[in-house]
Amino acid sequence: MSVIAEHGGIAEHIHPEPQGFIRKYIFSLDHKIIGIQYLITGMVFLVLGGLLAELIRIQLMNANGGFLTPDVYDEVYSIHGSTMVWLVGIPILTGGFGNVIMPVQIGARDVAFPWLNMISFWLFPIAGLMLFSSFLMGAPVAGWTEYPPMSLQGAAGTSMWCAAIFLVGISSTLTGMNFLVTILKMRAPGMTFTRMPLFCWGQFATAPLLMIATTALAAALAALFMERQFGVPFYDPTRGGSPVMWQHMFWFYSHPAVYIMILPAFGIISEVISVFSRKPIFGYRLIAFSSAAIALAGFMVWAHHMFTSGIAPYMQLPFMILTFVIAVPTGVKIFSWMATMWGGKIHLTSAMLFTIGFLILFTFGGISGVFLAAIPFDLHVHGTYFIPAHIHYVLVGGSVMGIFAGIYYWFPKITGRQMSEFWGRVHFVLFVIGFTGTFLPMHWLGAMGMPRRVATYDPQFQTINDVMSIFSFVMTFAILIFFINVIFSIRNGKKVGHNPWGARTLEWQIPSPMPYYNFKHIPSVYGLPYDFTEPLPYAHLEEELTDSPVPVGAH
Amino acid sequence: MNVVAWEHILAVAGGIVVFLVASFALRADWKTPGLDNQVFKLMLGLLALGGILATLTGLQIIGKS
Amino acid sequence: MAVASVPHEGQADQLYVETRALRLQGFLLFLVSDLVLFSSFIFAYMYLRNSGQGWPPPGITRPAIALGGLNAAILFGSGATMHYALENFKRGNFIRYAWLLIFTIILGALFLGGQAIEYTTLFREHITWAGSGIFGASFFTLTGMHGFHVLCGIIYLTILLLQSVHGVYDKQRYFGLTAGTLYWHFVDVIWVVLFSIFYLV
Repeated sequence: MSVIAEHGGIAEHIHPEPQGFIRKYIFSLDHKIIGIQYLITGMVFLVLGGLLAELIRIQLMNANGGFLTPDVYDEVYSIHGSTMVWLVGIPILTGGFGNVIMPVQIGARDVAFPWLNMISFWLFPIAGLMLFSSFLMGAPVAGWTEYPPMSLQGAAGTSMWCAAIFLVGISSTLTGMNFLVTILKMRAPGMTFTRMPLFCWGQFATAPLLMIATTALAAALAALFMERQFGVPFYDPTRGGSPVMWQHMFWFYSHPAVYIMILPAFGIISEVISVFSRKPIFGYRLIAFSSAAIALAGFMVWAHHMFTSGIAPYMQLPFMILTFVIAVPTGVKIFSWMATMWGGKIHLTSAMLFTIGFLILFTFGGISGVFLAAIPFDLHVHGTYFIPAHIHYVLVGGSVMGIFAGIYYWFPKITGRQMSEFWGRVHFVLFVIGFTGTFLPMHWLGAMGMPRRVATYDPQFQTINDVMSIFSFVMTFAILIFFINVIFSIRNGKKVGHNPWGARTLEWQIPSPMPYYNFKHIPSVYGLPYDFTEPLPYAHLEEELTDSPVPVGAH
Repeated sequence: MNVVAWEHILAVAGGIVVFLVASFALRADWKTPGLDNQVFKLMLGLLALGGILATLTGLQIIGKS
Repeated sequence: MAVASVPHEGQADQLYVETRALRLQGFLLFLVSDLVLFSSFIFAYMYLRNSGQGWPPPGITRPAIALGGLNAAILFGSGATMHYALENFKRGNFIRYAWLLIFTIILGALFLGGQAIEYTTLFREHITWAGSGIFGASFFTLTGMHGFHVLCGIIYLTILLLQSVHGVYDKQRYFGLTAGTLYWHFVDVIWVVLFSIFYLV
């Protein structure tokens, strides 16, 4: 790869910092501000989606329902799922953390296309508002997967749902292109692919998924929209269309989408685990290349969501085997992380606690995923509570734990202050207890045959459901503690220096909060950032923490 | 002659011209470096294929109505 | 990326070279995602086509092959003229470049005209987008989407023509023209595929 020359290129080019409030904080072109905007907006949607989840749990406390009408219940779980996937998981992990941290970690001053980055962000809250406004005209009722023919019969809000997801998809696609070009072209001198921090590897593996898979979803959504609004037959079987086609196109996107939500989280975990074990990451190349392997294999397994949809038997077996194969690179990662901790000097900070929680809960979710890949078992539990149990273990136990770990870890870098460690631990303990109590019993419910997405159910399941609902309040309470901790710490947290954790990646070598231009001089990189016994592998960073002015030649 | 016959003749003529021009351009560009030129070469190759298809269509060898 | 302050001699070239590399890669990635969009609809068409009714479905006449072939030749020809437009610009032959670009735009417009004739013929036989089952859905969606791309391309090339008349591009800096040529080639080459799957098989 071409190394960007040290002087005169874009790498050394500094734009003057805008001064007005609107240019600086609203329509900002600065990747750090845009990333923070993503994080805040994503957190707002996390609260909204979480409240919808609580409505679901309150409804299910009684076997006969009664809290919501069945129609409203359908709308609530559909919007809950859509929100959590498209407005929380994907934007926070790619647009949020990716924007704030990735360019700094590769030693760049910004992403490749700052304008595009701003457009990507602003499409996202608009899409979110559109999604929630669908409640006003009858929200979608067929779940976040919106299978036809039910989605064809849904109220007007379903078309709004299509448009909203289409918009947020454009936002993802643009982010993916932007990140891909940034990582390919804008790394600091000496930052080769095998010296790149693992968080950047996570983003690098995610970017093509964002770009390619999301466009496939856009086609499926456009077809659904055209069929609903203009009566163009794609999915309606009475007019020659095929509902199974939607499932193919949808899962061709949505299976990679779960990797979009987990690969950046893998990156966060890799950073945190090495720093707080004070040991070089075990198997750097294994972790990096297994991310790429997961991204690639993620495109070849989509039909394992459709074993009961009537696809040909000769297609089922390869998909089952390929799905098993994906467990291999994931297992490689889990064992590498455990080997990193092994014999290390482990600091049990909040970020590290969430990382350890991630390892345990995600492994659990991954194993139930292997169960589901087996066709005989899948035929038994398909459409039961086993499926929500699995997806919540990987997305809450995996992605959301990764998000929390990342926020506790990078909060000092973003704000210059540390979050309360005590309340962080309280958050962790309550969250894990609430999480386990809510989602572990779902496995049993599923195995016993309680169907998902129903507003009322057989009274024999009521005790378990009551227990789950009570634990879900504990989980919500834990997230409330987290938000209070964040808001309190922004103003009153303990002030810490530029590198409170003693981490070695590039973002920790510059002041906190990060200055507008990131680096006074673009650093040169000589090695991996994980070797805690060696001196830092960077050059030209001497002036970053001093008061020396931004060099004139850099303008 | 009717319209359809003219359409066939023009398609054959256009197809042959496209094929020749695209092949010639591909040959001239064969050794150019750079990402954009690699993509251009791929596109020119497919364009030459398109010329062949148009010619064969005009000759009524392939194509269904 | 907007250049806020003009650096001294020599620095500007370095900046341009790197900016161009970024934009080229970004633009190619845009074309890749556009290709995925077309591929998804092509997948949908293939899936529906093979869902068992035979093709064309009963009661549907396919668009005339003669006009289709001529139209394809016109569009492919516009790709060839566009290629030589860029070549002539690179060699500094501005007049020939401008004529070839104008010729490309005219050929593109002719293609759209041919498609309009094709559509009206089908409409006269009551074959419509929403009213003719999966044939209408897949044919009009895919060719319409392609036609929209051609229309965007004609507008894009017209803008490029006006810009180059006003001297926006010179022999060293003509990334806009490269991007325009890439886009136009992409639109042509997509038609090779669409033409094959709708008219030839």
